[in-house]
Amino acid sequence: MRAIAPSSVESAVPYMNEESRDARYLEVVMVRKSFRGTTVMDEMNFRMARGELVSLLGPSGCGKTTLLRIIAGLMPADEGEIVLGPRNITNLPAHKRNISVVFQNYALFPHLTVGENVGFGLKARGHAKSEIESPVRDALRLVRMESYMDKPIAGLSGGQQQRIAVARALVVRPDLLLLDEPFSALDRKLRETMQVELKSLLRDSGITAVFVTHDQEEALGVSDRIAVMNAGRIEQFADPSTLYARPATPFVMDFVGLSLRLNGTATEKADGACDVGTSHGSVRTPIALRKGEGAVIGVRPELVRAFPSGEAPALEAGRNRVEVVLEDVMVLGSKTMLHGRCDEPDRLVCELPGIKAGFARGQKVVFDWAIEDTLAYGAAA
Amino acid sequence: MTELRHAISGTPPRPIRSPIDKIALLAAPGLLYLAVLYAIPLLLLLLQSFRSEDGGITLDAYTSFFAESYNLEVLLRTLRVAFLTTLLSLAIAYPTAIAMNRAKGVWLTVFLVAMVLPMSLGVVVKAFAWSILFRSNGALNQTMEFIGLIDAPIRMLFTETALVVGAANVFLPFMVLPIYAVLRQQDEALQHAAASLGAGPIFRFFNVSLPLTLPGIVAGAAFVFSMSISMYVIPSLIVGETQQTLPMLIARSFLYLRNEQLGSTISAILLIIAIVVVLSSSFLAARLGAKE
Repeated sequence: MRAIAPSSVESAVPYMNEESRDARYLEVVMVRKSFRGTTVMDEMNFRMARGELVSLLGPSGCGKTTLLRIIAGLMPADEGEIVLGPRNITNLPAHKRNISVVFQNYALFPHLTVGENVGFGLKARGHAKSEIESPVRDALRLVRMESYMDKPIAGLSGGQQQRIAVARALVVRPDLLLLDEPFSALDRKLRETMQVELKSLLRDSGITAVFVTHDQEEALGVSDRIAVMNAGRIEQFADPSTLYARPATPFVMDFVGLSLRLNGTATEKADGACDVGTSHGSVRTPIALRKGEGAVIGVRPELVRAFPSGEAPALEAGRNRVEVVLEDVMVLGSKTMLHGRCDEPDRLVCELPGIKAGFARGQKVVFDWAIEDTLAYGAAA
Repeated sequence: MTELRHAISGTPPRPIRSPIDKIALLAAPGLLYLAVLYAIPLLLLLLQSFRSEDGGITLDAYTSFFAESYNLEVLLRTLRVAFLTTLLSLAIAYPTAIAMNRAKGVWLTVFLVAMVLPMSLGVVVKAFAWSILFRSNGALNQTMEFIGLIDAPIRMLFTETALVVGAANVFLPFMVLPIYAVLRQQDEALQHAAASLGAGPIFRFFNVSLPLTLPGIVAGAAFVFSMSISMYVIPSLIVGETQQTLPMLIARSFLYLRNEQLGSTISAILLIIAIVVVLSSSFLAARLGAKE
């Protein structure tokens, strides 16, 4: 099982099978961390499969970079264990873990050439100069930077520096690759290009990788699974489509993608469903909530339909409807966003495909969506 | 009217061309000061070393200086003391600079005060304080004799070792501060990157920390070395007349021997050494920093 060929990993990510050893390739068990008496991470548990690309997604200060540093060995955990493959690496120093890191600012060595940067890890592992040249050349070819071998680091663009950082991290054949906000220093266009490029590069090399990011689009686009972190805890760990369609908590719903969101109180139970009274009328939920309980309901904006009041058809069975006054109409080309007037933390938003005419600020409209698309959370969530 | 037009069109008024950059004029007071108080007097001094008795130009002063073995001994001692002082300063300064770079808040202030405060004390006070500690019946010798480490007092003052130790103490800040300045600019992520690539502490030191601090080391070494070869007060106080150095020889030529030509000849030699050190170190620093 250990000598699995890199190319076969992609097709058979076996994390669904809990018995497989590869499904528990990286395990973070009951990790605790505090800084000066403030606990930033408590009983963190995290597990991923060999060959998987996983993102740690969360706002700044949620502990995602702390977790990355603990896994890399750049910061000790107060308690808990880290297991990588067959090794318990909890007490190993960073340089003995065989875990490469691509840093936010790339951290290339300014006194070395491109080739020397990429060869650094091999040199540190005691390889002779003659053994270093060819793998370095291969790694540079992989990131299409072969002609830069003898160039200094200064003068490279952000995208080029990132390629070098990735080549430098991969050339040592690490057991795990960690990437700390690898795209945040790039401008938007380049970022998208690099995301596609890096994803296929990581897939091809069959490496197991953890991305740290605060950018939900990046996480959705790059990873097999995403761990959404908040205040030192993982709120939900799921694949992108589950995360988007079925966010486990209001925090995940708000952090991953945009949503229409209303706060209210659960009023009435009826066959496993429930009505929630909000300041914009009653909304039916597909799940039961305790009566009298405070509740949050939401729906993804592209699942919402909009009609000018008066032109709206009769309410169909199985659908929710609220009446709103338009605060703003944003025509964004590929989509048109309608924002309804409401008070924080409520949010009334509808996304229509393409450019839609016939809506104006101040107009009364009806937002309409299916009950089964309604996300509902009780006070406990 | 024109201002209004520029405000409308958005183009700034065309600057009036001047042959001299006005900002560059800010350097004028400094240049003037250096010329009057450094370059001109030094040039006159140098010229004097080449003047023969009949008013012609000659290298006699130099040939006779190097012909005297005592002078060579003094020259060698001066270079040796300067070299050892630089080495000792570096050995103490490097770890200090690293510690300073790690220090935060109050500790950093403590370090900086500890670095600067002794400079305000002056060499004279220090030298007399040392003599209390190091002289034959001084505190150190008495303590060692009391413990039984030694049978008879060790001669510590008036030795070359004492001079090196004393000089390093005085010049230490000039080694620490350039290294500290370079370390401060260094990205901590570089150490992390090196570690995650499999580099242990020793490999990291020789392949990351050291090369990146070399410009600071070169600058500090140039400071300390050039100050060490030209120091006068410190050797006068610590080793006195017994072990002369070039600056002491210069002073003696001017003050006691009234031999201005000898004095200016030694000054010229000292100056050449200093120029070589400063030029080669800035060349070295530029080369080391070239890839950055």
